[in-house]
Amino acid sequence: MKSNLTFSEKLRKKWLNGDIPMWIMLAPTIFFIVVISLYPFIWICRFVFYDYNGFKAYYIGMDNFKRVFTDGIYWSSVVHTFEYAFLKLLFVLPLSLITAVLLQRKRMGSGLFQGIYFLPTVISSAVYSLIWYFIFATYNGVMNGYLQAAHIISQPIDWLGSSKTAMIAVVIVAIWGAFGNYMILLLSGLAGIPDDVYESAKIDGANGIQTFFRITLPMLGPVLKMVIMLAVTTAFKDYQSILVLTGGGPNNRTHVMFSYIYQLTFGTASSQANLQIGYGSVLSIFSAVIVGIITLIYLHFSKKMDEVY
Amino acid sequence: MAKEGKSRAVESKKTKAVNAVIFVLLAILAILTAYPIVYIILGSFKTNSELVSGGLELFPKQFVLDNYVQAWEMGNFSRYTINSLVLSFGVMLVSLFSTSMAGYVFARKEFKLKKLIYNSMVMFMFINVGSTALRPLFELAVKLHMNQSLLAVILISAGMSQATYVFLVHGFMNTVPKELDEAAKIDGCSFFGIYWRIILPVLKPALASVALLSFRGGWNEYILPLIFTMTNEKLRPLTVGVVALQNAGDGAAAWNILFAGSAISIIPIIIVYLFASKQFMGGMTSGAVKG
Repeated sequence: MKSNLTFSEKLRKKWLNGDIPMWIMLAPTIFFIVVISLYPFIWICRFVFYDYNGFKAYYIGMDNFKRVFTDGIYWSSVVHTFEYAFLKLLFVLPLSLITAVLLQRKRMGSGLFQGIYFLPTVISSAVYSLIWYFIFATYNGVMNGYLQAAHIISQPIDWLGSSKTAMIAVVIVAIWGAFGNYMILLLSGLAGIPDDVYESAKIDGANGIQTFFRITLPMLGPVLKMVIMLAVTTAFKDYQSILVLTGGGPNNRTHVMFSYIYQLTFGTASSQANLQIGYGSVLSIFSAVIVGIITLIYLHFSKKMDEVY
Repeated sequence: MAKEGKSRAVESKKTKAVNAVIFVLLAILAILTAYPIVYIILGSFKTNSELVSGGLELFPKQFVLDNYVQAWEMGNFSRYTINSLVLSFGVMLVSLFSTSMAGYVFARKEFKLKKLIYNSMVMFMFINVGSTALRPLFELAVKLHMNQSLLAVILISAGMSQATYVFLVHGFMNTVPKELDEAAKIDGCSFFGIYWRIILPVLKPALASVALLSFRGGWNEYILPLIFTMTNEKLRPLTVGVVALQNAGDGAAAWNILFAGSAISIIPIIIVYLFASKQFMGGMTSGAVKG
């Protein structure tokens, strides 16, 4: 039967049932994977062996790798990344979970509150960081203004310029910008818990807190795990907001891995000279591996959590 | 019975008190969350001297529109706005076009390379090498003379965010009954014809989410256009333009233009959000949870 078909008939059949059009329709997606994801990755893997300033590249073998181990700024930026991610998650996760649980029930203003909490997610983090930059300004910023008016501080604090407070300021902005996003994800998870479970808990006389720990939390498990995973990986990748707020300063105090890499590959706001793209490539691979390990550790522990429940 | 009724009355009084406390706490959190945005929008109508002298007054002493005029005319913000619109509509169109087709093919076809393509999308979503990946793309664009327009930025932005949207469309496609395709096939519709005439109209809700999220993605893009427009100020979108003013040198003197510029770059997306907040949140969750 099959061999009786002529070539043009075969072609026509393939056209109609989609075996050929399929590839044309997938072409943009495949193009993006190859050119925008795969090509840069291969490029980076090549340039780890080069000293490259954007104009001239010199092959230097393993020198870039050796340099990593003696680069104090990089390792302190790794420490800052963990500090930043830890502080951010410490506040973002409880805040998003509490707001989600409270807003799940219809109460006065719940729609409005939900809309407001989600608002920062809609705005560019570069622009909201700029807004916070004004708020944190030492002399005319409102943060110091309110704290002084409330007599909490007597002298204005140089929030973004002092190494004691810069990380706190960066984390405040991160919490403000992120909790609404995870709240929405958790709300959709909560909506998946059937009402009759709550009803029977109520009949059994469980109070709000008991219901939360015995029913809501375990039943939210899979969604919660996914949200934590998303929050952890995002926290380790953040750097855009830091570039706008402090540029990694003062004295590298707020440099996280990826903000340091950005400055090596593209320069600072004031200067684009002395780029070290080869070395930046090595650090980006190191950093990707660090984030990968964190993700794997998290996955391991979240599996363990399954066994406990 | 009577006793139980009494305890229920006490309980409901207690519940009311608890609810009132919760309401107050939620309201405080809402005020704190909304404050920076209200502050920048109201502040953009203040005079520069009022901004520079600080103070806790949220409302301007004297309502001035001059900041906007200055930003629009002198600060290049009319250019930046056009660039932002081109960028976000561009990203939206490319994303709609490519991810709807990919989602359809993935849902309806079984083929050898399917797993490979799918897995590499997932893999590159997790491998994060930060901004370094933009260096080769930037150099490629310069080589191809594609750095004189926003086209390269549009393609890269759409390409980097495609995985989420493909999953979103694919997930929605799985809820569309295959009988629909088969009926159309019997009527003589080709594979592409089914997509174009039958599937696209059915996909509307998913495509609305993709449109909204990719528009927001393009509008809020910062690092990518920053890199591509470092030497070409004319192509800067609002995000890059307004943050660049921060480092422009004269610092405090330009606060009024910075405030107006920030307001210009957030008000359009906030207006979109006000009209489509449900779709925004719904799209977020279907992209992340079900993907």
